[in-house]
Amino acid sequence: MDFSIIKRILRFKIAIQTVKENMKATIIFTLLFAGMATLYSSFYPQFKDLLADMAKDPNVLNTFGGLTGGSGDFASYIGFLNLELYSIFFVLILGIIIAFISATIISKEIESKTIDLLMSNPVSRKQIIIERFLGLIPMIIIINFFTMFVVYGVTIALGESLDFFNLFLTHLYAVPYFLSLIAISLLISIISDEKMKSSIFMIALLVGMFFLEYISHLTPDAENIGLVSLTHYYKPYTTLKFGEVDANGVIVLMSVTIVALVISILYFDRKDINV
Amino acid sequence: MTCEKCDFKGYYKFKTKKEAFEKSDFDSSGFSKVIEVRNLTKSYKDVLAVNNISFDVKKGEIFGFLGPNGAGKTTTIRVLLGYLRPNDGEAFIFGKNIKDNIVDIRKNVGYIPGELALYEHLTGKQFLDYFSSLRNTDLPLLDDLLEIFELPLDKKIKTYSKGMKQKMGIIQAFMDDPDVVIMDEPTLGLDPLLQQKFYKFLREEKKKGRTMFFSSHILSEVDKICDRVGIIRDGDLVALESIENLKYKRGKKIRVKLKGEPKELTSMKNAKVVDGWIEFETEGAIDPLIKKISKYTVLDIEIQEFSLEDIFMRYYSGGEE
Repeated sequence: MDFSIIKRILRFKIAIQTVKENMKATIIFTLLFAGMATLYSSFYPQFKDLLADMAKDPNVLNTFGGLTGGSGDFASYIGFLNLELYSIFFVLILGIIIAFISATIISKEIESKTIDLLMSNPVSRKQIIIERFLGLIPMIIIINFFTMFVVYGVTIALGESLDFFNLFLTHLYAVPYFLSLIAISLLISIISDEKMKSSIFMIALLVGMFFLEYISHLTPDAENIGLVSLTHYYKPYTTLKFGEVDANGVIVLMSVTIVALVISILYFDRKDINV
Repeated sequence: MTCEKCDFKGYYKFKTKKEAFEKSDFDSSGFSKVIEVRNLTKSYKDVLAVNNISFDVKKGEIFGFLGPNGAGKTTTIRVLLGYLRPNDGEAFIFGKNIKDNIVDIRKNVGYIPGELALYEHLTGKQFLDYFSSLRNTDLPLLDDLLEIFELPLDKKIKTYSKGMKQKMGIIQAFMDDPDVVIMDEPTLGLDPLLQQKFYKFLREEKKKGRTMFFSSHILSEVDKICDRVGIIRDGDLVALESIENLKYKRGKKIRVKLKGEPKELTSMKNAKVVDGWIEFETEGAIDPLIKKISKYTVLDIEIQEFSLEDIFMRYYSGGEE
């Protein structure tokens, strides 16, 4: 068996370069999310009573119910965190940012023609895909867990009750969600040779999936349409509240990641690199 | 080591036993073929870019790949490097099929792309570090190269001029001492002074035994530095010769000024009248034509070799009549 590709990949040179390239973005978004988490969680005491009143109104529940992961809880601290921080900023906004960056990762090399020089080195196409994928992982790990520590700190400062193991699980559970996003974005980035096109496509896809999931919670008849949405498989609320992780959800997210990666490799291996 | 046939000095890098005895490595003349292209065809959708071309590049030569823009030069190179999949035919580098061994082959191949794009956000030094880590080998030539082609390595590549970027392209292609360097119009963007420097550098590299594949649409530079040339037009390889041979085979250009314009001469197939001169293009022996001319009063006569330029123009404009 030929282990040379594994040996080459294990040197992680393209992956390290990817990390370096995204370092600035990683720092900026880490600070941004840390700031956002601080801001939103520290709002809770002021809104506590208002939210409790709103929760009694069924109309409000109908409107926001879709964003609470079906729990209907947005008045408790966990419900508030879930709605304000996780459902919107984490799943959607951070998802968009990750997808936006990941979707340019190969297409920008093709568009700017640097792929020509890169491929003149003894690196295989498989290696480029795998290392680019690996190189994007530190970004999500850093943003994700830094935000976790901020939530932890703010919670202590506010004196609210939150199971910190559940908090950790919630962020751990976010990893397969973001991995699946990276893998799909990478695939799009290989299919399209223009980085703007691939990024915009990914944003549209993610927003589309988010709304499908949202609608599926509002309309009982349309319950199943949420199944096609990646966001359906990451449910921060139940993890945060009860420490439950949807194993099927994790399996689906990991499968999506692997399938998207395999298709990326197969497709890229056959692709003509034109500049 | 020294070649017995041509007294050419070069070096030989010892290969593993298996590689050294691979059949395709040596041809009958004893020259090792570095690049072999066999009936290569590549089309994009319905456009035929390269049509069934075959040629070899021998060890230690500078092979010129000449043709107008859009003739198929870049496509051929991109197939050789494994960027494009050929529709038909195959190619070997160091006797290894590019289809299965391209990553291995690239360890020993330098490349200067036609449209050179560097990582603009890196400094020169960062770029070289990145690439040397990808090559995963020593860079024995880097210092020499940086001396010849000076560059501000601590500045970001986006601040470089076109000429500086091109220099970086040259440096990265040669720095790890590859056995063969494939260049796609490498002198584009170099100022005349730098061009001369580059030609001199290539000649030095040739002396060291490096094989070079040099694509160009500029005839004079191919004439100046290449040993053999393949001319490609509309995807077809229309000539494949040593430069000397190419000139020799095309015969001579004879211009005469005669008293009057005798029909017998002006109506000849290979003759045309320009400003009172009758111009003939001959192939092979010139004696019959001279005998014919001698029947008339010759006011003036010029006999010229074809320049490569003339030959080239004929190939370009439709070529072989």
